[in-house]
Amino acid sequence: MINKNIFKKTLSAAAVVAGLSAMQVAEAANWLMLQGTERPGAAGRAKVWGFIQTQYQTDNSEPFAHPTLGDMYVPPKLIGPNLSSQEQFNVNRARIGVRGIGMPLDSTVNYFLLAELGNNAITANDGDVAISDASITINTDATRIRTGLFKTPGPEEALQAIHVFDYINFTSVTNQLMLERFQQAGETNIAPADLTTPSEGVGRYSRPVGAFRDVGVQFFDSFKSGKWDHSYAVMFGNGNGLNFGDNDDNKDTYVYWASELSYGGKGPRAQGLKIFAWNQSGKRTDPDDAAVVEDRTRSGVGVKYLKKPYRVTVEAMQGEGMIFMGQHRPADGFNDKKASGHYVDFGYYIPDSKWEIDLRVDSYTRDENHGTSAAGDESTFDTTTIAAQYHINKKTRVTFEQSSRTFESDTAAVNNQLKGVDTRTAVQLTHIF
Amino acid sequence: MKKILGLFAALAMLLSVNAQAGDFAEQSIVLQISDPNPFKQTLVLNVANNIIKHYGQDKVNVEIVAFGPGLRLLFAENANKGRIKSLSGVGVKFSACKNTIKAMSKKLGHAPALNSNATQVGAGVVRIVDLMNKGYKLVKP
Repeated sequence: MINKNIFKKTLSAAAVVAGLSAMQVAEAANWLMLQGTERPGAAGRAKVWGFIQTQYQTDNSEPFAHPTLGDMYVPPKLIGPNLSSQEQFNVNRARIGVRGIGMPLDSTVNYFLLAELGNNAITANDGDVAISDASITINTDATRIRTGLFKTPGPEEALQAIHVFDYINFTSVTNQLMLERFQQAGETNIAPADLTTPSEGVGRYSRPVGAFRDVGVQFFDSFKSGKWDHSYAVMFGNGNGLNFGDNDDNKDTYVYWASELSYGGKGPRAQGLKIFAWNQSGKRTDPDDAAVVEDRTRSGVGVKYLKKPYRVTVEAMQGEGMIFMGQHRPADGFNDKKASGHYVDFGYYIPDSKWEIDLRVDSYTRDENHGTSAAGDESTFDTTTIAAQYHINKKTRVTFEQSSRTFESDTAAVNNQLKGVDTRTAVQLTHIF
Repeated sequence: MKKILGLFAALAMLLSVNAQAGDFAEQSIVLQISDPNPFKQTLVLNVANNIIKHYGQDKVNVEIVAFGPGLRLLFAENANKGRIKSLSGVGVKFSACKNTIKAMSKKLGHAPALNSNATQVGAGVVRIVDLMNKGYKLVKP
């Protein structure tokens, strides 16, 4: 269950947002339909599309001055995915793909194929190429069936199209709770290290992150009821991220519901009020002992209001099992710990200008009330992000972002590493084609 | 008596033909869509809408003739069906080529379901020529 306080806050925020939109007629972006279907009778055989994101990030965090080992860094103080410096230019995303209807006369079947050529946690190393999406959708009168590799039904921040994401970096809750890391046998996660031996210390897992995706089959659709547009999705997947195959017999189940009231527009920036809830559950097999399995559950609720010039998004999520421990307990990625978090995002589109300003406050608590530690073993990650976006044109924009971070832990050794985490500044140019 | 009835019948036919041609229309335009590019669907509907807005729905005859790959515009499931209904409501006519329907039926194994606002015509290109002979101007967006 969602933490009661967070749940209450989310419901209150949902009520405020609903109040803002009262007496108006209603669709925020429907990601299930936008990503899984094509416009019937009006889609081509193969539409080539993609986007490139180039960025610069700098981190002002102070390393922990270890009495014998020298200056120690943890991942939040370094720029990913390389985690080898505090300042970096990067081509973090370069995606190209095709989508459409193979036989344009018959809109029953459509497809979606997308490759990632950028440098990020999907492509484990510079120069690697990964397939991020490869799916086929069959549209029937009863339901729509999407099979293959694609984004799983889940939180708005993860499910939305990344090229229209209003910030550069994810919230801590989405980054740590939802962006699944896949530890392989013998891998010990990320330990604090100095910068002279980054490849041995502050390294990465050998496999790419899950990227909020899975291989499986999804039943979904969207239908109107009065002024509301309702969407559902039920998916069964491997629970093995971007890997085309599976590593065990356990399957994940994903359930999603959204109700939307449209204010006009279409596509990823459609305006409307969307209320949604979701749940993900599955099991993971210990890479070091195939006889040991651990539950992994995630769930959340949220609301998104977008009616220019205003945007408000509130999401709350919680999870149990397979909680990413990062620098906290480096060898402990396979666990039954609990975690929860939430964020509130405000956007304001300055009228008659190409500027948009954004504010996001997010909080994440990891290893909540862990039973093995009487003193408590929690770590909390609070971040306030201010951002501005300048839309050069409809397909190109510059995003400026500054994050103020307060990370701390009840455990002194961990807190030593976290207390030096400070501001991070990033600039990103996005061009969609 | 027969002569009078015949005269009435001829007059009625004449009135009917004149009414179809649009008595008060100052312009008559036929729009052709035969392109597979989905963007052309939006474009041809935009053009029809702009023509109606410019001249006024009572002052212009607009007919969209779809054939070849362009016939997909008039499929019942087409994503633009809402716009087609709106344009039909302001007098825009939609004509679907029977030859294309026949060819597509062979590929599909069944006849494609068409938009209820579409009227089937023998051959799209012949329909265009006929309309041009009646004074319509051809536009291919």
